[in-house]
Amino acid sequence: MRLDPNFVTLSVLVALLLAVGGWVSGGTYLSPFNLQSMAMQLPEIGFLAIGVMLAMCAGNGGIDLSGIANANMSGVASGIFTVAFFDAAQQPVVFTAVFAMGCMIVGTLGGVLNGLIISKLKVTPILCTLGTQMLFTGVAVVLSGGRSVAVGAHDPLYSIGNGTALGVPIGFLIFVGVVILLGVVLKFTRYGVRLMLTGANPKAAVFSGFPISRILTTTYAISGLLAGMAGVVIAARNVNVKWDYGTSYLLVAILIAVMAGVRPEGGYGRVVNVMLSAIVLQLLTSLLNFMGMSNFVRDLAWGLLLLCFLAVGRFAVIDRIVATLPSARSPRAPS
Amino acid sequence: MTSRAIKAALFGSAMAITGQGALAAEGNTITTVVKISGIPWFDRMETGVEAYAEQHPEMEISQVGPATADSAQQLQIVQDLIAKGTDALAIVPMDPTILEGVLRRAMDRGTIIVTHEADNQINTMVDVEAFDNSDYGTALNERLAECMGGEGKWTTFVGSLGSRTHMQWVGAGEENAKQHPGMQLVDPNNESFDDAQGTYEKAKEILRKHPDIRGFQTSAGNDVLGVGRAIEEAGLTGQVCLVGTGLPNPSAAYLDSGAITAIGFWDPQKAGMAMNEVARILLEGGEIKDGMDLGVEGYNAVSVRPGAGDGKLVVGDGMVLADKDTYQDHLF
Repeated sequence: MRLDPNFVTLSVLVALLLAVGGWVSGGTYLSPFNLQSMAMQLPEIGFLAIGVMLAMCAGNGGIDLSGIANANMSGVASGIFTVAFFDAAQQPVVFTAVFAMGCMIVGTLGGVLNGLIISKLKVTPILCTLGTQMLFTGVAVVLSGGRSVAVGAHDPLYSIGNGTALGVPIGFLIFVGVVILLGVVLKFTRYGVRLMLTGANPKAAVFSGFPISRILTTTYAISGLLAGMAGVVIAARNVNVKWDYGTSYLLVAILIAVMAGVRPEGGYGRVVNVMLSAIVLQLLTSLLNFMGMSNFVRDLAWGLLLLCFLAVGRFAVIDRIVATLPSARSPRAPS
Repeated sequence: MTSRAIKAALFGSAMAITGQGALAAEGNTITTVVKISGIPWFDRMETGVEAYAEQHPEMEISQVGPATADSAQQLQIVQDLIAKGTDALAIVPMDPTILEGVLRRAMDRGTIIVTHEADNQINTMVDVEAFDNSDYGTALNERLAECMGGEGKWTTFVGSLGSRTHMQWVGAGEENAKQHPGMQLVDPNNESFDDAQGTYEKAKEILRKHPDIRGFQTSAGNDVLGVGRAIEEAGLTGQVCLVGTGLPNPSAAYLDSGAITAIGFWDPQKAGMAMNEVARILLEGGEIKDGMDLGVEGYNAVSVRPGAGDGKLVVGDGMVLADKDTYQDHLF
């Protein structure tokens, strides 16, 4: 079986970063508290990166720039609604359920809007989502008057962002669940297969009679749903939601997707790689923070990492390493 | 701090060396987390943090901050520092509300939290303010009104609508302007995001939209530079008044040319030292009392009030207003 080079590289990097971190910090980096802390930070950017990945897989220059704006809009809109109609102290479970549902509904609606504009009006995804990004941000500002919306620190909402189950942060468990579910959907359902085929060759997909616009709309809707989930996690973790939170996430999400080996031209991408890629970035960032490095060094390290990944992909480094191992050598004679 | 530069350069090989620093957790690490690193205001604060570190060689004291003005990035740094086991954090929050959750977790874990420029922060032990914010806003606006002769259109800039101190300053300014019925506020609360280039663009728009505008009151440290440049390029030096928060050195050229009427500031160096001193007192189990001397100029007799949450609010007397003739006394 051919090894997935991105999967191998990312896994090795995760192990390497954990080892270096543990060594450099004298163990603090590998303490349960820090591992939990890093796992808590991961889901919000992870959801957004998967959204970007799906959009890229759809091909035709697919990308979703509206992710974080959509997440903030979801949190703000759902937060204002839920706080106005439900008392978090009296009925915390209902409050949490309504807030989470609200976020996911608003997020999905935002995604559907993207999908319809792209598939029906044939607007290039980068322009469409740039426009909706501003629209979503604007809606969030108008709804909240530019102030942050307090959703409060009531369980069970608070524990989604800050609690743990069996030592693992709940937000991270939800994230892993979504990764597995989406991985299965992409690999085994008709929608998943058609999405990748459409991305690989849109023209062939049209002549094969694929319902292109439905596939596109579904894809951007899922991306929006993921943004809504990011909104839930952000609100749960920070107690407050605000329209300008995480402006830097836009580029980080794209970086994670590209580092995960998602083909920007469409047709290929693995959710598990996106998760690993997000973990690598998180480990690296936290490690640099542990060492008291300037944040500018972090940007530099990210850039280097991205270039390394592009090089690994371009020169098929993993395949060559594998080829030098006698046991893994193909029985067939080289042609 | 040259060692830090070397560390950055020898990024890979320095990992083992810095490891020893990351290890320390004997109740003596204080890390200052600023809104953004690499801008003059927080560079000046870093000189204070460094000076304080020299006075207290037994402590492990440093300053960090995000490379971009995004509360999410600052949140990440704070969260990592808590996980690392830093004993005390002196934070200048980009957006106090966003940090509430993480600071609550930090205090639950026993981390000492001191904040600055965030008198609405609920989850903090002590918030240090250089001065009473409404007094400062009033003073800025009075200086502006004096320059405008109490007549004409004026507008305000804030770093962001979430920056509470900035909103308090312009709010107090608006209150003060009511004493001058001739002053008319137009398009208030423009967001600058502390970015001189963005502020410049926005100020140009305002000058085009209101050719008869007579005054600007700005809040974030870089705003005077952006607005000052716009005024100078429009050839309106001397006709349009500009009073705002700024640092003497970067503003010097515009103060000399007259594009900036006056700058108001508190010395971030002193604020950084005061924050660290408060953190050190708390680490030693001491108490912050009304009228106490923090050993830093402008904080020799601080007033202590109840804070927004269970914490305390420490207010110093560090306001400075400087113009063309007086800025030379405060060169930094």
